[in-house]
Amino acid sequence: MYTLHEKTMELRNKLKDVRLQKNLTQAELGQRVGVTRQSIIAIEKAKFVPSVKLALELAQALDAPFNEVFWLEEDSRGD
Amino acid sequence: MRKEMRPYYISRAILSIGFGALLYFTGSPLWQAVLLGAAILGLFLWAPHSGRYSVHPELGVNALRRDEWTQAVNDKAARNAFAAVMLLVGGAGLYFGAVGAALVPAGLLRALLIAGAAVYFGSDVWMRRNQQK
Repeated sequence: MYTLHEKTMELRNKLKDVRLQKNLTQAELGQRVGVTRQSIIAIEKAKFVPSVKLALELAQALDAPFNEVFWLEEDSRGD
Repeated sequence: MRKEMRPYYISRAILSIGFGALLYFTGSPLWQAVLLGAAILGLFLWAPHSGRYSVHPELGVNALRRDEWTQAVNDKAARNAFAAVMLLVGGAGLYFGAVGAALVPAGLLRALLIAGAAVYFGSDVWMRRNQQK
Protein backbone atom coordinates (compact mmCIF):
# COMPACT_ATOMS: atom_id res chain seq x y z
CA MET A 1 0.00 0.00 0.00
CA TYR A 2 1.34 3.48 -0.84
CA THR A 3 0.17 7.00 -1.57
CA LEU A 4 0.06 8.30 -5.14
CA HIS A 5 -1.08 11.88 -5.68
CA GLU A 6 -2.63 11.81 -2.21
CA LYS A 7 -4.57 8.63 -2.96
CA THR A 8 -3.79 5.44 -1.12
CA MET A 9 -3.17 2.70 -3.66
CA GLU A 10 -3.18 -1.05 -3.14
CA LEU A 11 -2.03 -3.91 -5.30
CA ARG A 12 -4.97 -6.12 -6.27
CA ASN A 13 -4.84 -9.40 -8.11
CA LYS A 14 -6.95 -11.94 -9.93
CA LEU A 15 -4.42 -14.68 -9.44
CA LYS A 16 -6.94 -17.27 -8.26
CA ASP A 17 -9.34 -16.70 -11.19
CA VAL A 18 -6.58 -16.82 -13.78
CA ARG A 19 -5.02 -19.89 -12.13
CA LEU A 20 -8.36 -21.72 -12.16
CA GLN A 21 -8.91 -20.76 -15.81
CA LYS A 22 -5.62 -22.50 -16.58
CA ASN A 23 -6.60 -25.55 -14.50
CA LEU A 24 -3.62 -25.21 -12.20
CA THR A 25 -3.50 -26.02 -8.51
CA GLN A 26 -1.80 -23.68 -6.04
CA ALA A 27 0.98 -26.24 -5.62
CA GLU A 28 1.53 -26.51 -9.38
CA LEU A 29 1.68 -22.76 -9.82
CA GLY A 30 4.04 -22.48 -6.86
CA GLN A 31 6.27 -25.12 -8.39
CA ARG A 32 6.37 -23.24 -11.70
CA VAL A 33 7.69 -20.07 -10.09
CA GLY A 34 9.67 -21.75 -7.29
CA VAL A 35 7.63 -20.71 -4.27
CA THR A 36 5.58 -22.61 -1.70
CA ARG A 37 1.86 -23.27 -1.91
CA GLN A 38 1.49 -21.13 1.20
CA SER A 39 2.94 -18.16 -0.67
CA ILE A 40 0.40 -18.57 -3.47
CA ILE A 41 -2.41 -18.71 -0.90
CA ALA A 42 -1.12 -15.57 0.85
CA ILE A 43 -0.90 -13.68 -2.48
CA GLU A 44 -4.35 -14.83 -3.63
CA LYS A 45 -5.86 -13.67 -0.36
CA ALA A 46 -4.00 -10.34 -0.69
CA LYS A 47 -2.23 -10.95 2.63
CA PHE A 48 1.15 -10.62 0.99
CA VAL A 49 2.36 -8.23 -1.71
CA PRO A 50 4.83 -10.08 -3.95
CA SER A 51 7.96 -8.48 -5.33
CA VAL A 52 7.87 -7.13 -8.90
CA LYS A 53 9.99 -10.10 -9.98
CA LEU A 54 7.65 -12.68 -8.47
CA ALA A 55 4.55 -10.90 -9.78
CA LEU A 56 6.02 -10.89 -13.29
CA GLU A 57 7.00 -14.55 -12.96
CA LEU A 58 3.47 -15.44 -11.86
CA ALA A 59 1.91 -13.65 -14.82
CA GLN A 60 4.39 -15.34 -17.14
CA ALA A 61 3.76 -18.77 -15.60
CA LEU A 62 0.04 -18.25 -16.15
CA ASP A 63 0.67 -17.08 -19.70
CA ALA A 64 -1.44 -14.01 -19.00
CA PRO A 65 -0.79 -10.27 -19.47
CA PHE A 66 0.60 -8.73 -16.30
CA ASN A 67 -2.20 -6.16 -16.07
CA GLU A 68 -4.78 -8.89 -16.21
CA VAL A 69 -3.38 -10.55 -13.09
CA PHE A 70 -2.15 -7.57 -11.04
CA TRP A 71 -3.28 -3.95 -10.97
CA LEU A 72 -3.34 -0.94 -8.66
CA GLU A 73 -6.55 0.24 -7.11
CA GLU A 74 -7.47 3.04 -4.79
CA ASP A 75 -7.74 1.74 -1.23
CA SER A 76 -11.43 1.15 -0.53
CA ARG A 77 -10.92 1.96 3.15
CA GLY A 78 -9.95 5.50 2.13
CA ASP A 79 -8.03 8.04 4.18
CA MET B 1 12.00 -40.98 -1.65
CA ARG B 2 12.60 -38.95 -4.79
CA LYS B 3 15.90 -39.87 -6.40
CA GLU B 4 16.84 -36.23 -7.07
CA MET B 5 16.50 -35.47 -3.35
CA ARG B 6 19.09 -38.07 -2.33
CA PRO B 7 21.92 -35.56 -1.74
CA TYR B 8 19.64 -33.61 0.62
CA TYR B 9 18.57 -36.70 2.60
CA ILE B 10 22.09 -38.16 2.79
CA SER B 11 23.60 -34.87 3.97
CA ARG B 12 20.88 -34.45 6.61
CA ALA B 13 21.33 -38.01 7.84
CA ILE B 14 25.06 -37.30 8.28
CA LEU B 15 24.24 -34.07 10.16
CA SER B 16 21.77 -35.90 12.43
CA ILE B 17 24.35 -38.58 13.24
CA GLY B 18 26.87 -35.78 13.90
CA PHE B 19 24.54 -34.06 16.37
CA GLY B 20 23.84 -37.35 18.15
CA ALA B 21 27.56 -38.17 18.31
CA LEU B 22 28.35 -34.70 19.64
CA LEU B 23 25.84 -35.18 22.44
CA TYR B 24 27.19 -38.66 23.23
CA PHE B 25 30.84 -37.62 23.30
CA THR B 26 30.07 -34.66 25.53
CA GLY B 27 28.81 -37.00 28.22
CA SER B 28 25.12 -37.59 27.54
CA PRO B 29 23.70 -41.13 27.78
CA LEU B 30 23.54 -43.08 24.53
CA TRP B 31 19.73 -43.18 24.52
CA GLN B 32 19.56 -39.38 24.70
CA ALA B 33 22.02 -39.04 21.83
CA VAL B 34 20.08 -41.52 19.70
CA LEU B 35 16.80 -39.79 20.54
CA LEU B 36 18.16 -36.35 19.61
CA GLY B 37 19.66 -37.67 16.37
CA ALA B 38 16.36 -39.34 15.45
CA ALA B 39 14.37 -36.20 16.30
CA ILE B 40 16.64 -34.01 14.16
CA LEU B 41 16.48 -36.49 11.29
CA GLY B 42 12.69 -36.50 11.61
CA LEU B 43 12.63 -32.71 11.26
CA PHE B 44 14.89 -32.88 8.21
CA LEU B 45 12.64 -35.55 6.63
CA TRP B 46 9.52 -33.50 7.37
CA ALA B 47 10.91 -30.17 6.14
CA PRO B 48 10.46 -30.75 2.36
CA HIS B 49 6.80 -31.70 2.97
CA SER B 50 6.07 -28.97 5.52
CA GLY B 51 5.18 -26.28 2.98
CA ARG B 52 7.63 -23.97 4.74
CA TYR B 53 10.26 -24.18 2.02
CA SER B 54 10.26 -24.21 -1.74
CA VAL B 55 11.91 -27.42 -2.91
CA HIS B 56 14.61 -27.27 -5.60
CA PRO B 57 16.04 -30.79 -6.05
CA GLU B 58 18.48 -29.50 -8.67
CA LEU B 59 20.33 -27.62 -5.89
CA GLY B 60 21.43 -30.89 -4.27
CA VAL B 61 22.21 -30.53 -0.56
CA ASN B 62 20.71 -27.02 -0.59
CA ALA B 63 17.41 -28.25 -2.01
CA LEU B 64 15.27 -26.31 0.46
CA ARG B 65 14.97 -22.57 0.01
CA ARG B 66 12.92 -19.90 1.72
CA ASP B 67 10.78 -17.99 -0.72
CA GLU B 68 10.00 -14.31 -0.29
CA TRP B 69 6.81 -14.82 1.72
CA THR B 70 8.53 -17.24 4.10
CA GLN B 71 11.40 -14.76 4.39
CA ALA B 72 8.96 -11.93 5.17
CA VAL B 73 7.32 -14.05 7.90
CA ASN B 74 10.71 -14.95 9.39
CA ASP B 75 11.82 -11.30 9.33
CA LYS B 76 8.68 -10.16 11.16
CA ALA B 77 9.01 -12.97 13.71
CA ALA B 78 12.64 -11.99 14.34
CA ARG B 79 11.63 -8.34 14.73
CA ASN B 80 8.93 -9.31 17.26
CA ALA B 81 11.36 -11.49 19.20
CA PHE B 82 13.96 -8.70 19.29
CA ALA B 83 11.38 -6.17 20.51
CA ALA B 84 10.09 -8.57 23.18
CA VAL B 85 13.59 -9.35 24.47
CA MET B 86 14.52 -5.64 24.55
CA LEU B 87 11.35 -4.86 26.54
CA LEU B 88 12.13 -7.70 28.95
CA VAL B 89 15.74 -6.53 29.34
CA GLY B 90 14.47 -3.01 30.04
CA GLY B 91 11.91 -4.33 32.51
CA ALA B 92 14.50 -6.50 34.25
CA GLY B 93 16.88 -3.54 34.44
CA LEU B 94 14.21 -1.37 36.06
CA TYR B 95 13.15 -4.13 38.44
CA PHE B 96 16.63 -5.04 39.62
CA GLY B 97 17.56 -1.36 39.79
CA ALA B 98 14.47 -0.58 41.87
CA VAL B 99 15.06 -3.42 44.35
CA GLY B 100 18.69 -2.44 44.53
CA ALA B 101 19.95 -5.90 43.74
CA ALA B 102 23.70 -5.91 43.28
CA LEU B 103 23.62 -9.28 41.56
CA VAL B 104 21.29 -10.23 38.74
CA PRO B 105 20.49 -13.97 38.70
CA ALA B 106 22.38 -15.88 36.01
CA GLY B 107 19.17 -17.75 35.16
CA LEU B 108 17.75 -14.48 33.82
CA LEU B 109 19.81 -14.76 30.63
CA ARG B 110 18.44 -18.22 29.96
CA ALA B 111 14.89 -17.00 30.66
CA LEU B 112 15.35 -14.11 28.21
CA LEU B 113 16.67 -16.44 25.52
CA ILE B 114 13.75 -18.82 26.03
CA ALA B 115 11.28 -15.92 25.93
CA GLY B 116 12.86 -14.62 22.71
CA ALA B 117 12.70 -18.07 21.09
CA ALA B 118 9.08 -18.51 22.22
CA VAL B 119 8.07 -15.14 20.74
CA TYR B 120 9.92 -15.96 17.50
CA PHE B 121 8.29 -19.36 16.98
CA GLY B 122 4.91 -18.17 18.27
CA SER B 123 4.91 -15.20 15.86
CA ASP B 124 6.02 -17.43 13.00
CA VAL B 125 3.19 -19.94 13.56
CA TRP B 126 0.60 -17.21 14.17
CA MET B 127 1.49 -15.28 11.01
CA ARG B 128 1.54 -18.42 8.87
CA ARG B 129 -1.92 -19.43 10.09
CA ASN B 130 -3.36 -15.92 9.97
CA GLN B 131 -2.18 -15.28 6.42
CA GLN B 132 -3.75 -18.51 5.15
CA LYS B 133 -7.27 -17.62 6.34
